[in-house]
Amino acid sequence: MSAPGRGTLPSRARPHPDAESGKRVLRVALLGNPNTGKTTLFNALTGMRQQVGNFPGVTVERVEGSYRGPAGERVGVLDLPGSYSLSASSPDEAIALEVLLGQAQGVPRPDVVLVVLDAQNLERNLFLASQLMELGIPLVAALNQVDAAEAAGMRIDVPELIAELGITVIPTVATRGEGIDHLRRAVDRAPELPRPARRFVLPPPVANALAPLEARLRLAGLAPSVAELEALRLLALSHPEAHLAGVVGLDEELARARAALERADVNPLSLEAELRYGWIGQVVERTVTRPRHEERTASDRVDTVLLHRVWGVVIFVALMAVVFQAIFSWAAPLQGVIESGIGLLARGVEALLPAGDLRSLLVNGVLGGAGSVLAFVPQIAILFLFIGFLEDSGYMARAAFVMDRLMRRVGLHGRSFIPMISGYACAVPAIMSTRVIEQPKDRLATIMVVPLMSCSARLPVYALLIGAFIPPVAVAGVFDLQGLTLLAMYLLGTGAALVAAAVFKRTLLRGPVRPMILELPPYRLPAWRSLGVSVTQRVVLFLRRAGTIILALSVVLWALATYPKASVPAGTPAARASELQLEQSALGRMGHAIEPAVRPLGYDWKIGVSMVSSFAAREVFVSTMATIYGVGGAADDGSQTQALRERLRAERSPVTGRVVYTPLVALGLMVFYVFAMMCMSTSTITARETGGGWIGWRWAAFQFGYMLVLAYGGAWLVYHGGRALGFAG
Amino acid sequence: MLARRSVQPDHRSTASALPVIDCQRSCALAECERGCQAMVVGMGCAAPDACRLRALGVVEGTRVTVVDSRNGMLLSVRGSRLALGATIAAAIVVVPMDVAHGAAPDQASAPPAAVASHT
Repeated sequence: MSAPGRGTLPSRARPHPDAESGKRVLRVALLGNPNTGKTTLFNALTGMRQQVGNFPGVTVERVEGSYRGPAGERVGVLDLPGSYSLSASSPDEAIALEVLLGQAQGVPRPDVVLVVLDAQNLERNLFLASQLMELGIPLVAALNQVDAAEAAGMRIDVPELIAELGITVIPTVATRGEGIDHLRRAVDRAPELPRPARRFVLPPPVANALAPLEARLRLAGLAPSVAELEALRLLALSHPEAHLAGVVGLDEELARARAALERADVNPLSLEAELRYGWIGQVVERTVTRPRHEERTASDRVDTVLLHRVWGVVIFVALMAVVFQAIFSWAAPLQGVIESGIGLLARGVEALLPAGDLRSLLVNGVLGGAGSVLAFVPQIAILFLFIGFLEDSGYMARAAFVMDRLMRRVGLHGRSFIPMISGYACAVPAIMSTRVIEQPKDRLATIMVVPLMSCSARLPVYALLIGAFIPPVAVAGVFDLQGLTLLAMYLLGTGAALVAAAVFKRTLLRGPVRPMILELPPYRLPAWRSLGVSVTQRVVLFLRRAGTIILALSVVLWALATYPKASVPAGTPAARASELQLEQSALGRMGHAIEPAVRPLGYDWKIGVSMVSSFAAREVFVSTMATIYGVGGAADDGSQTQALRERLRAERSPVTGRVVYTPLVALGLMVFYVFAMMCMSTSTITARETGGGWIGWRWAAFQFGYMLVLAYGGAWLVYHGGRALGFAG
Repeated sequence: MLARRSVQPDHRSTASALPVIDCQRSCALAECERGCQAMVVGMGCAAPDACRLRALGVVEGTRVTVVDSRNGMLLSVRGSRLALGATIAAAIVVVPMDVAHGAAPDQASAPPAAVASHT
């Protein structure tokens, strides 16, 4: 990644003019340990002015926002991934280090670094801060969650802390927006203040042992303070990272430094941590007063139940059941509203335009497509709201810990659990979040199985089929059969993902499992405002990335279903005419072509067409069905899905006259969709995350293939197994 | 599962305000029970894991308290809670400390580790 000679560090002290507007622009990098309320603070600072992208060349998510500073200048804030240190043990931490050193492609070195310190956890948080102080960049600290620290009986002497650290420290409560204005002013003033620097002195033997290494790094163009930081940091690493590839003779110099330290009876591996924590211990002693006895906290008491090896798992599964029930029952009315709106628009277009291809394109293609995109929004919003709530409340880490036992059984780390859970919302961000898994084989195995977790794009398919074919019978008072069927589909996907992971970890991707090391943050109430911002961000991202693809595909599908024009004899009833048209269209011919392949599953060509069309994005299934059955957009009652459900229940085979959609066919179809990898976006992201290029696409193809085999086999088993058991097929 | 070893109080330390460390009593962290306080003296795990642990504040010389040992290990380290799997807990070498001087987090509700012996 890094070319030789890129070790030169531009020292950019002053804010530079914005190329476009000529106005001053201040670039701020936001950094902090996980669980410090960093994202909440970011949301409080920048509000809705956020953009989500990727760092060039890698897929670590890049979230940027901006605000208008006190002096009227634009302040751009880059939210770097949560890191415990700059020792780059995961790709996320490596990106943070590269950005701070000005070595990240396409990201200028920040003018100011804003570090978030959790007031309750000051000691541990100061480790990262002490490394950041040596970067030679103006540094401001937000001492966040001071309210929680005070509630826990802690007192932090902020003026003393400022004196000890030599940087501006602003107490904040990001969840309530307290201290944010002070923080903005401090960021604005930071470039005028003296640069922060290392606040501890190396013992003479250590300083002597490190001097040649530091000199070597300075020679390669590193600023003196950065050379000192790197020298200390590199001692504990197995190999220097890519950004130091340009430093000639680094490995030899590093080996000499380690040998010299060992001669002086110093452990080079623990030296940095011992020195920094030694200094931090003194700082904390002078600035923090805590209750004399470390009390058993409320979180500890809650954890005795939630971390129980049986109850912990039971509570987790129950929580998930409630979440899915809520998605099913809360999203439906919102989707109804969206569908009515689309229906109104469609009627408006019909009133304005004469019957013909243009009207059909607008009503069935564009509005039908937009309807199927927008129908997703309530589900995605609710799911991300829940995931955000679990994350921010601190429960997600407990879930990972409780599930570690299970994950380990299938050969994965508890860390794989969070990406897998995120797969319930969407496989694309879930696969991107596998970067928290350090072991490459664990990561690969997780990526391979994440798409088996039922994502929100499968929900419309499940919702359509469950709504049409599963009766809403009450079960145990609270749940109904529809909700339980939905839960069963999710459990089937989850179970398959675990089994597949176990198989991969024992065959293709055999390797050791990294041990579990996880911080459990204290429980806290999430900030609703910040959750709202995060959910909005996800929805916009979905509409931008997936929505456009789905809309384009809907138009293509409309064209495939409309051309070539069928010759319909005059006087044919309208419904029969549209069916004839579809049968003779390009889409109909494709459906007929694959009919022999899907007939063993009990499907006819119409289901075949919908399946073919949904190989790019599975949610297209619903809109294709709507097109095929002529209920797209133009539904009279304003509810497309409801109209489609009724149409499906009434559908009979023109040959045998029997009902096409028996419960077995519907169930088999759902099972097919549980397993099948039908998402272009996921395949693309898999290819990129598994190495890109030829290797990446081979993994993506493998993923697609094994999931298709599972899907076909599963649907076949349901259909034929069900018939063998005497159910009507 | 690993056999849990109970921690005997060190009576020689009664005169001193600082806990006395007896290096011969070192054991794996996994052997400590709930309420036990111990000082980390070595890391027998792979280098990247040790590096991560040190960044999280588990450094040689750090005092840790076992908050929960039913299911992996839940530690109190420098005021934060750290969950460790059984493998890593078995690889960290500690010297258990006399709980009479430090305050166990739940002295009131649970007997000190020294009494909770069943080996």
